[in-house]
Amino acid sequence: MLTLKKKIETIVAELTLRYDSLRKIWQYSDSQPTEITLAAALVILYPIATYLELGYSPIMQLMAPIAGLYQLYCVSGKCLSCRVRASFVTFSFYLLAGVMYLYCGLLFQGPSYWGWILLAVSSFGSLKRIKKEELHRKNG
Amino acid sequence: MDNTTQIVLAIVTLLGSAGIWKYAEARLRVKAELKKEEKSESDTILYRDDLRRRVEDMDNALKEAHKELLELTQKVAKLETENSFLRREIDILKSK
Repeated sequence: MLTLKKKIETIVAELTLRYDSLRKIWQYSDSQPTEITLAAALVILYPIATYLELGYSPIMQLMAPIAGLYQLYCVSGKCLSCRVRASFVTFSFYLLAGVMYLYCGLLFQGPSYWGWILLAVSSFGSLKRIKKEELHRKNG
Repeated sequence: MDNTTQIVLAIVTLLGSAGIWKYAEARLRVKAELKKEEKSESDTILYRDDLRRRVEDMDNALKEAHKELLELTQKVAKLETENSFLRREIDILKSK
C-alpha cells in the first residue's frame, strides 16, 4: 500500500514537472516557426476553406491573405513591434473565422471545425510570446 | 450571409479581439514591471551586502593598522631612549 502511494506520488511529481516544462516552453519558446505556419495557413488555407464552407466573403477571403503576407513580411524583417501588430491581425482573423462558423452554425457540426479555435488560441499564444519578448528587451 | 452581417460580425470580432488583447497586454506589462522591481530590489540587497562586507574588511584593516602603529610607537620610544644613552656615552668618551 505504501509503495503504491509512493509510486503515485512519484508519477504526480513527474507529471507536474512535465506540465511546468510544457508551460514554460509555450510561454517563452521561439515563436517564428509558429508565426510562419499561421501566416501560411492564413494565405492559403483560410480563403479556400472559408470560401468552400461559408461562401463568398470579401473581408475574409481578400483581407486574410494580405494579413498573412504582412505577417510573413514582419517575421522576415525581425522587427518585434511589427510582429506584434501582424500577430494581432492574424489572431483577429482566426477569431473572426471562429465567430463566422459559430454564426453559421457550423462550429458544432463536427470537431474538425474546432480547428479555427485552435488556430485562434495558437495565434494568441504566439502574440503573447512576442509581446513578452518585447517587454523583456525593453526592461533588460 | 449578407454583406452587412459580415461587416457587423467583423467589427464585433475586431473589437472583441482588441479588448482581449488590451487586457492580456496590460497583465503582461504589470507582470514585467513586478519582475523588474523584484530584480532591482535583489540588486539593492546584493549591493548592501557587498557594502557591509567591505565595511567589515575596512574595520579589520583599521584595527590591524592601529596595532602596528602602537608597536611602531613603542619601538621608536625604545630607540629614542637607547639613542640618548649612546649620545651621553659618546659625550663622556669625548670629554676624556
